[in-house]
Amino acid sequence: MTRDGGIRRPVLAPHTRYRWDKVRKEHQLVFPEEMMLLNEPSAAIVKLCDGRSLEEIVAALKEMFPGAEPEDDVREFLGQLAERGLVNDAAAD
Amino acid sequence: MMPPPTELPRPRALLAEITYRCPLQCPYCSNPLELARYKSELDTATWVRVFEQAAELGVAQLHLSGGEPLVRRDILDLCRVARDCGLYSNLSTGATVADAKMIERLREAGLDHLQVSLLDTEPESNDRLAGAPSYDRKRDAVLTAKRIGFPVTLNVVLHRHNLERIGEVIDTAFAWGVDRLELANTQYTGWAFRNRAALMPTRAQVERARRVVDEKLAASTGRLDVVHVLPDYFEEFPKACLHGWGMVFMAVAPDGAALPCQTAREIPGLEFPNVRDSSLEEIWFRSDVFQRFRGTDWLPEPCRSCDRREIDFGGCRCQAYLMTGDATATDPVCHLSPQHHLIAEALAEAEKPAPPLAFRVMRT
Ligand SMILES: C[S@@+](CC[C@H](N)C(=O)[O-])C[C@H]1O[C@@H](n2cnc3c(N)ncnc32)[C@H](O)[C@@H]1O
Ligand code: SF4
Ligand code: SF4
Repeated sequence: MTRDGGIRRPVLAPHTRYRWDKVRKEHQLVFPEEMMLLNEPSAAIVKLCDGRSLEEIVAALKEMFPGAEPEDDVREFLGQLAERGLVNDAAAD
Repeated sequence: MMPPPTELPRPRALLAEITYRCPLQCPYCSNPLELARYKSELDTATWVRVFEQAAELGVAQLHLSGGEPLVRRDILDLCRVARDCGLYSNLSTGATVADAKMIERLREAGLDHLQVSLLDTEPESNDRLAGAPSYDRKRDAVLTAKRIGFPVTLNVVLHRHNLERIGEVIDTAFAWGVDRLELANTQYTGWAFRNRAALMPTRAQVERARRVVDEKLAASTGRLDVVHVLPDYFEEFPKACLHGWGMVFMAVAPDGAALPCQTAREIPGLEFPNVRDSSLEEIWFRSDVFQRFRGTDWLPEPCRSCDRREIDFGGCRCQAYLMTGDATATDPVCHLSPQHHLIAEALAEAEKPAPPLAFRVMRT
């Protein structure tokens, strides 16, 4: 798997879970001992990490957020998650 | 009842110490020395109520632990309730009472994550430290869990008797295919504080360990989320213990006492409300003990006028008490603490031959 953000088919690592917090009204990426709070675009990215390709994720985001050019941000964000082992590359299997 | 104050944070994590019973005797165990004092355990219905109240209060993560949580006969029911409440659940186990069937049932019951503790990568050393043959069972539990797709964290508590093998620990984590590795340096509370002189690594060991971890991880290409908790005695500043007292974390002990930190009972003079008598919401927002060290108003000097006071809140209260006898003191780990010499003395002790280990026992 690549750790430089060159991830092709990102999928959430098995020990992480996306969670909508009803009490605080916030998106969370939960894993043992910690959680990451997500804003709307990051939550959308995380929810798309189901094994589809990076290009497909970018295309889906463009539809959700018209006018946005999300590719660089997506790469950077997924690179950070992969670095922490929170996202894996299904294409690397 | 009055509505909860909106300016206060809500808890994000609940540690449910459902029992202190345990078949192992780890000398670094963070459980209290006076284990027998807390023998009267909450029943299933009370734990269910606690989990439901926790979810309503804003808890996202439930950590089932102890003691050995798998000795509770209702453990599967408790996992199901956690799932039904929408909590992300983790269970920490010594894994000696978990056969393959039990591990499958835990998964079916909705447990999100399993954390298995290993004492050493050398089987004889693991078994000697645990006070019982346990290496094989721990390995089998991890392998079974991974075979059925259970996310697993391997937790290894590090100290003078196993720090030399930190590289082998990382190799083992890769070989067993775990998702996450906690390289947890011993926190000196409970039995670990009692055994501090026997457990404290030398500075040379700590520095070597740090190097080995960096090198190993730089060279690896596998998937592993590694959390390396450095021993705070060797740091310049203390840890932000639990992100601050009463800020995000709450523990409930086997007898129902609600604690701002799992080792807070070591501090004399604090009174802990019990979940048998009060709701978690009342306890979190209104009890004296959760207010006691919340925020920064109570801080002593030098913390009161320090730039880092919102970062570390003056460090760990239990450590401050255990080392200085005063729970309101600056954590002596901080190099600005007037009592920082206590840390230097403890470290000097570690350069001497280690005294014998005292194994965890429940005196009755
Ligand atoms: C107290 S144990 C209870 C659960 C179970 N008996 C076990 O050992 O996994 C919870 C976790 O804390 C770790 N632990 C115990 N004492 C510790 C200490 N003094 N410092 C850091 N971690 C500790 C254990 O390795 C385990 O992962
Ligand atoms: S740390 Fe060891 S002695 Fe303590 S509860 Fe866990 S397995 Fe038992
Ligand atoms: S003086 Fe207090 S607030 Fe400042 S770094 Fe030390 S412990 Fe933290």
